Amino acid sequence: MNNNKVKVNPWKRRYVVLMMEVIGRSMEAASQVDRVIRGEVANLPDRLMFEMRVIPNGPALVMVKTDAGNLRYVGTSAPRKVDVAMKFKHLQHAFLVFSFQESTARSFANDRILLDGEIAYAMKIVRCLNRMESLILPKFIAQRALKRYPDLSLPEKLLGGGRIYSQVAKNLIWG
Amino acid sequence: MTKSYYEFFCPVKIVAGSAALEHIPYELSNLSASRPLIITDKGVRGAGLLDHVLNAFAESDMEVVEIFDDVPPDSSTKIVSRIAELYRSNKCDSIIAVGGGSVIDTSKGVNILVSENGTDLAQFSGVGVLKKPLKPFFVIPTTAGTGSEVTQVAVVSDTDKQVKLPFTSYFLLPNAAILDPRMTLTLPPHITAMTAMDAMTHAIEAFTGMAKNPISDAYATLAIRKISENLIRVLDKPDDVDARLELAQASTMAGIAFSNSMVGLVHSLGHSLGALCHLPHGLCMNLFLPFVLEYNLDGRGDVIGELLLYLAGAEVYARTPTHQRGAKAIEVIRQMRDELNRRCKLPRTLSETGKVTQDQLSKLADMALDDGSIIFNPVDVEREDALAVLNNAW
Repeated sequence: MNNNKVKVNPWKRRYVVLMMEVIGRSMEAASQVDRVIRGEVANLPDRLMFEMRVIPNGPALVMVKTDAGNLRYVGTSAPRKVDVAMKFKHLQHAFLVFSFQESTARSFANDRILLDGEIAYAMKIVRCLNRMESLILPKFIAQRALKRYPDLSLPEKLLGGGRIYSQVAKNLIWG
Repeated sequence: MTKSYYEFFCPVKIVAGSAALEHIPYELSNLSASRPLIITDKGVRGAGLLDHVLNAFAESDMEVVEIFDDVPPDSSTKIVSRIAELYRSNKCDSIIAVGGGSVIDTSKGVNILVSENGTDLAQFSGVGVLKKPLKPFFVIPTTAGTGSEVTQVAVVSDTDKQVKLPFTSYFLLPNAAILDPRMTLTLPPHITAMTAMDAMTHAIEAFTGMAKNPISDAYATLAIRKISENLIRVLDKPDDVDARLELAQASTMAGIAFSNSMVGLVHSLGHSLGALCHLPHGLCMNLFLPFVLEYNLDGRGDVIGELLLYLAGAEVYARTPTHQRGAKAIEVIRQMRDELNRRCKLPRTLSETGKVTQDQLSKLADMALDDGSIIFNPVDVEREDALAVLNNAW
């Protein structure tokens, strides 16, 4: 038996798995209730499927644009070849982003993410992610996750974040 | 500032200087190749540049097996397939691209098909699809600007499906880039100026961007210095062989820098303007460069200030107080653009191009936000920011 195979800290893997699901479900909700994200999603092609994945064996999150014009969280595996893929080269790199030690832009700049597919669509998805994070995360965390924290008024932030959280709950209860 | 993590990769052998072309037969034999196919365009052949390459094979025990000289400015998968067939039917074993961006990208596409024994180029589109080294591939640039001779990307249009197919792989990098001053000696002044400003922008964006690193910085700063010192010299004396070689080297160095550190908002806006208004890439770079640096100045003033040393020399740098160096660097770039405008009518603003209307600015801002390079700009860019830069550049 080969004893040289070292496993990643299981808590780190579980944390990334959990965060991917949180992001997937939050993006789904945000695409239903936030005007800015709805605008971005409207410009994506119908049924576009994208994933964020740690190579080679996950974790992953897969989303698709529905006929209703929203994003839907598909789960952790894609039923077909995805149109856009953002692939972390290692679990540690995903952990850095999801634990807000490194912004998505910094992760790209540090060559930790591979982008496959139409870049214009990927940029729209990144903007959706950024917008969602600016609304749902406390400012001091969002400032670490984003290149620049947007100019959001307190009511806009509280209302926007609240709408997303309650929509996530609705989706979980009623599907 | 120390960068927490970076990658740097450039395995391309640079063969540069006087009689560089005459090294090609030896370099081919080093790779066990002896039957090269040359891929070029009508302009290169018409200017007599191909003769220099063909003459370089005299006194060698190999010859150019076939020449394809009909690569259009916007190449396609159909052209790539045609050339691949030519390669196979003539039993070639290597490819020499002689030209600019379109010729080089086409040649990369041909190399994929002949190496993978494929017929459908689209099958190999994407990141990291290629898993093994390709056939021996040399690039001889005929402009000093694109840096394509040291990049691992290619874009080829699929005209039937109306899409542009991107290819990214380390295996697309040529085995060697041949920089011979004879190949750029007859370049007209306005193209010399545009392409040099393209290279200048590659270097400046690599140096000021989010993905900058110490090794690409070294390439970028030397490229900036070489262009600053030699562009006007070449425009004064177009047959100055030394100055031409300096520009060719600067272009390759800038290419190495940006292929490792990426580019930013100048390219996001420039790609959009080029696509919407069909303006040459180098012209777009020259146009947006100072306006984007002004936008980035608040967040990146210290790094932009460092540019002054390479743009204007040690005396000006030492004379300028630290906090004014960023603005001074932008002023030097503006002066350079004024000089290029005076000599070659190179536009400095969108209105000076005569090909852009103000009602297109909104569309240009939208397009720029979707360009991949925007993520590497050191300062975040929202739609209003892009629009403000475009209005300033009007």
